[in-house]
Amino acid sequence: MGTSVQVKPLCGVYNENPLAYLVSVDGFNFLVDCGWNDHFDTSLLEPLSRVAPTVDAVLLSHSDTLHLGALPYAMKKLGLSAPVFATEPVYRLGLLTMYDQYLSRKQVSEFDLFTLDDIDSAFQNITRLTYSQNYHISGKGEGIVIAPHVAGHLLGGTVWKITKDGEDVIYAVDFNHRKERHLNGTVLESFVRPAVLITDAYNALNNQPSRRQRDQEFLDAIMKTLRADGNVLLPVDTAGRVLELILILEQFWEQHKLAYPIFFLTYVSSSTIDYVKSFLEWMSDSIAKSFEHTRDNAFLLRHVKLLINKSDLESVPDGPKVVLASMGSLEAGFSHDIFVEWVSDTKNLILFSERGQFGTLARMLQADPPPKAVKVTMSKRVPLVGEELAAYEEEQNRIKKEEALKASLIKEEESKASLRTELPVNDQMVLDANNTHSSSNAIGQRSEAFRDVLIDGFLPPSTSVAPMFPFYDCSSEWDDFGEVINPDDYVTKDVNMDQMLMPVDGDLAGKLDEGSVSLILDTTPSKVVSTELTVQVKCSLIYMDFEGRSDGRSIKSILAHVAPLKLVLVHGSAEATEHLKQHCLQHVCPHVYAPQIEETIDVTSDLCAYKVQLSEKLMSNVLFKKLGEYEIAWIDAEVGKTENGMLSLLPLSSPAPPHKTVLVGDIKMADFKQFLASKGVQVEFAGGALRCGEYVTLRKVGDASQKGGSAAIQQIILEGPLTEEYYKIREYLYSQFYAP
Amino acid sequence: MASTGQSLTSLKKREAATANNRDGDQLIITPLGAGNEVGRSCVYMSYKGKTVLFDCGIHPAYSGMAALPYFDEIDPSTIDVLLITHFHLDHAASLPYFLEKTTFKGRVFMTHATKAIYKLLLSDYVKVSKVSVEDMLFTEQDINNSMERIEVIDFHQTLEVNGIRFWCYTAGHVLGAAMFMVDIAGVRVLYTGDYSREEDRHLRAAELPQFSPDICIIESTYGVQLHQPRHIREKRFTDAIHSTVSQGGRVLIPAFALGRAQELLLILEEYWSNHRELENVPIYYASPLAKRCMAVYQTYINSMNERIRSQYANSNPFEFKHISPLKSIENFNDVGPSVVMASPGSLQSGLSRQLFDRWCSDKKNACVIPGYVIEGTPAKTIINEPKEVTLTNGLTAPLNMQVHYISFSAHADYAQTSTFLKELMPPNIILVHGEANEMGRLKQKLVSLFADRNTKIITPKNCQSVEMYFTSEKMAKTIGKLAEKVPEVGETVSGLLVKKGFTYQIMAPDDLRVFSQLSTANVTQRITVPYSGAFAVIKHRLKQIYESVESSTDEESGVPTLRVHGQVTVKQESENHISLHWTADPISDMVSDSIVALVLNANREMSKVVVESEPVGSEEEDARKAEKIVHALLVSLFGDVKFGENGKLVISVDGNIAHLDKQSGDVESENEGLKERVRMAFQRIRSAVKPIPLSA
Repeated sequence: MGTSVQVKPLCGVYNENPLAYLVSVDGFNFLVDCGWNDHFDTSLLEPLSRVAPTVDAVLLSHSDTLHLGALPYAMKKLGLSAPVFATEPVYRLGLLTMYDQYLSRKQVSEFDLFTLDDIDSAFQNITRLTYSQNYHISGKGEGIVIAPHVAGHLLGGTVWKITKDGEDVIYAVDFNHRKERHLNGTVLESFVRPAVLITDAYNALNNQPSRRQRDQEFLDAIMKTLRADGNVLLPVDTAGRVLELILILEQFWEQHKLAYPIFFLTYVSSSTIDYVKSFLEWMSDSIAKSFEHTRDNAFLLRHVKLLINKSDLESVPDGPKVVLASMGSLEAGFSHDIFVEWVSDTKNLILFSERGQFGTLARMLQADPPPKAVKVTMSKRVPLVGEELAAYEEEQNRIKKEEALKASLIKEEESKASLRTELPVNDQMVLDANNTHSSSNAIGQRSEAFRDVLIDGFLPPSTSVAPMFPFYDCSSEWDDFGEVINPDDYVTKDVNMDQMLMPVDGDLAGKLDEGSVSLILDTTPSKVVSTELTVQVKCSLIYMDFEGRSDGRSIKSILAHVAPLKLVLVHGSAEATEHLKQHCLQHVCPHVYAPQIEETIDVTSDLCAYKVQLSEKLMSNVLFKKLGEYEIAWIDAEVGKTENGMLSLLPLSSPAPPHKTVLVGDIKMADFKQFLASKGVQVEFAGGALRCGEYVTLRKVGDASQKGGSAAIQQIILEGPLTEEYYKIREYLYSQFYAP
Repeated sequence: MASTGQSLTSLKKREAATANNRDGDQLIITPLGAGNEVGRSCVYMSYKGKTVLFDCGIHPAYSGMAALPYFDEIDPSTIDVLLITHFHLDHAASLPYFLEKTTFKGRVFMTHATKAIYKLLLSDYVKVSKVSVEDMLFTEQDINNSMERIEVIDFHQTLEVNGIRFWCYTAGHVLGAAMFMVDIAGVRVLYTGDYSREEDRHLRAAELPQFSPDICIIESTYGVQLHQPRHIREKRFTDAIHSTVSQGGRVLIPAFALGRAQELLLILEEYWSNHRELENVPIYYASPLAKRCMAVYQTYINSMNERIRSQYANSNPFEFKHISPLKSIENFNDVGPSVVMASPGSLQSGLSRQLFDRWCSDKKNACVIPGYVIEGTPAKTIINEPKEVTLTNGLTAPLNMQVHYISFSAHADYAQTSTFLKELMPPNIILVHGEANEMGRLKQKLVSLFADRNTKIITPKNCQSVEMYFTSEKMAKTIGKLAEKVPEVGETVSGLLVKKGFTYQIMAPDDLRVFSQLSTANVTQRITVPYSGAFAVIKHRLKQIYESVESSTDEESGVPTLRVHGQVTVKQESENHISLHWTADPISDMVSDSIVALVLNANREMSKVVVESEPVGSEEEDARKAEKIVHALLVSLFGDVKFGENGKLVISVDGNIAHLDKQSGDVESENEGLKERVRMAFQRIRSAVKPIPLSA
């Protein structure tokens, strides 16, 4: 019997909510994607919270909030503790996306669902894989192999392939088959006949214009506004689709030598671009090629300026400009603030490059016709002043005192513990500017020094860096107040603590852009002040599809090509899901499922299979016929057993029984026509049939393009009077097939 | 190919013995270069008709065609995949030649970083090498063309070409260096290329593969030597430089332009920033590639270790404060102490040689050789500190400068090699990329290390083939309708065997569409034959020939039909025509042909309707006839066939005798091969002379 596979959606079915699905393969629970929306609505995560502790592994497919936003929260609050797998860019850009989300939220509200530390610790344990890397899961999931493959939507975006016993479960959402400036198209089409395919219906009802036309319209719209002295705002994601937009703008500006400034404004923009520069391996062939030839990194931006602070933008002289700012939903972040400033000027343009999440400001504005006025909340974090400040400080002092009291009680205990642990925890690669030698040498020296201090007169084996039992001077001095305390003991501890933390600090500081976060991270007491106001929407609003997803028509043809044995549809509006389901039932395969939230569906393949060994004796008499990448032969064999109990196939001892003949091959009428013509047969299409020579007709019955379903065997009818020609044409027809 | 190596012959014997019993598939590994030498790495491997070539280097000590691996030993057009481990000249530099000047038409793979640096390095090589035009192996244009054909592979990414699966691991040697694991039909071969298990300033250590390979082709550059700990080497290096420059001397560091040079620069940069007193001593990195390769180093930061990556988060570690690039010797203002790192590393020509010639006679100066030096190069000569050296202009000069040899080349030493192999436990080890003596010593040590484990260690010379046999069990998966019930021993399984790459599946024909991209078709044929006689005549005649002729009437038109042999329908279409209708397959085609012949005959002989008497005693006669035919056919196949006792046939071929029982089909013979052939032939003959069964 086949591998048992169950799918249970936790979020994001029959609507455009974030994605999270539970896929169990022989009892091993994969959580594929762990998304959240820009509202951070905890009610969406309820189904996840019920299963989080049972998850055995998490697979992330894309680096945006919809695909991984809930990871820090789930790790911290919902008891999710499984190992996480993602590609390097998804890890890196996902981390930056979460930072940006957090900082944007924190700026406008008392955001407390998770902290920067939670983000860090959630991302810390991600195992990073490269495309087509087969990762063998050990332990409970022994025998399962997971492999990420190119999805094409975002940088590092992944189509996950989970394989067990030769059966593939493929999770492919938000894929894009089109090659773009910075990304290659998905390789989904190279997977044929997987046991289960889980895909989305998000774009099932949308069809896109050609890329060239769309790019042209996009640039035209921007240029028109700029020439009319207006500003253009592009609400974008933090590190996903924005990369493609940046490249489009860069190229256009370069070609036309434009001087209008372009700004990319997120809390993490400079880090984003820095990291993206080192992800060339993950980008399209053309980008890699241009780098190999000219060593010009495509993301060495000449026209787009990176900003991490809105005040930098304000200091730019007035005049038409293009600003790409996060978040795409306009709910928070810089884009929200800029929107409020620019919305009431008719000269300006707000250009949406992706559909806003449901229920967000962006989605409202994309409605047709757009609303005349919208209500917005202007929130701002301001430092506390006057009485508030005094009250706050008093409160803080009280807390501090309490903590200090507590701390002093446990301090001694801690200091001893720290002595015991500090040797092993010293990071080998800590950078120490004072050390003149290599870091490993530095470690040696430092531990040497500790030994001198701590274990006077006790010689440890010179090769050992293992933790040593610390030496305590028992003859400590006591005075009237108890043991005399030497403050230096505690100083060492602090220093070492700092060193221990350094890599983390350095990492964090590098990822975040200093200054931008100052108000949030520093200790200056502050509060959020909100004002609600209604703004008139006077500026132009345009929505263009730069989402980088395959459109409805392509999705259908890709699905028909992949032709899974079972298909599960998720993520997409109810209409889109239903539409795609009906389409697939007719044209792709008879098993199409579109489960509801928390509905567990069983997509275990009803495929029977067993393994046999092919004996040398049998194989030496088998003649294969090559058909494309396949080789085929008919075998008649007797079942035997090998020494170790395996079934094996041996040659028959008696003559083979006759079998029904099968003609293997795919015949295309047009191709066959050409073939006949090349053989000198007069041939033409007449009334849906192929007229060969004078009398013989060849017809194909049934729709041969229809894939899947066992009934779809090609039916070919050859008719004609008894002539030599008839036999000749039959001969040619047979030559197109392989009949074992 | 002659087998002079002792291990080789003994191996052959042993393997040959097993090969006789059970015919395994032969795996051949032949070093075309780097066999018992260092340089021009190139290892050929072939198994099951699939061919892989590892690396494609040149020998730096030779020039022109002499530097190439022995490509004439192989047919380049048969190679499916060429895998390049890293960009060093002795591993990659004959690639443009191989791609452009031979019949090779397979695919080439290397890592992203290797590809980017490969172009830089080879263009430089073409410019620097001082050989006549006809000795040039390739031109700049050839390199550019080769770039088009090179495909990239990322670490751990699994690719499949022609059924050859392969992926690569970090090798630690230089940026982008990879170890390739190749899997052909379940037999795994690991080719390490140059590797190092020690993490350094910017590179990760070589990974330990997850799976143990069947064969490990491993470098043996350092043989049984042990490296000094890294920090001691670094201290010696910086001390030597420090003392020389503080005495007013100049330091020459001849190094490969890329790869280890970056590591040394990182060391120098760090040392200079920690020693303020050295601030005025300039460090030059004299390579035209210096600046250009920086972009590559900055971009492929993800191929480096965590340390560099976390540094990168703050600032670019490859932006040096104390080191300035130097374009050529003309731009070099040689006043006072300085440190110059110049390529090439082996001092044959170029800037490093020019500086050496200029500085070698002053005893204040020093030359620090920081990597492995290849036999036969000037660098190797000066390591032995001769009294005099020959300069490029042919004069001799005293060698007074100090020569230090401090190896930073990231090759594994004995400790690393032995632990690597101990953890990997490959049953076969092939040593390449090492001088014959070092390799021999390493082999001795490894033999004693693995004495209890029947591990074969082989050190083939160039062009000496190592042959091994692997019996890979062919496993097939029976799926779909055929697999609804697992068969018992003795039952028959009939179906389509579908092979894709090296995986086999057995399925029912109807399932072919479901499990593969192939489709099946039915061809229905309808042929009209002129016939104006009575339908009954045909029916009568058919009944004489065919066992089964059912008559009925067509439901639509009501005309009489006949179903012959359960497959072909004969229908009286009109007064003058009858039609035949059937689904194409060999038997039906034959039946229909015979019907057509019959109908045509009937047409001609319309008038005479003869009622023939029922044939009598046909059974016996048939049997006798069949026997005759069998005999005749056997004679035509085997020649000497006599009638033996109790109805047996005696067949003798080349002195081997087989007895064939005609009733049961049993064959007795001393010779297995003959027995099998006779049995098979008899089976086929029998199925040919027997009547066509109805049940098909």
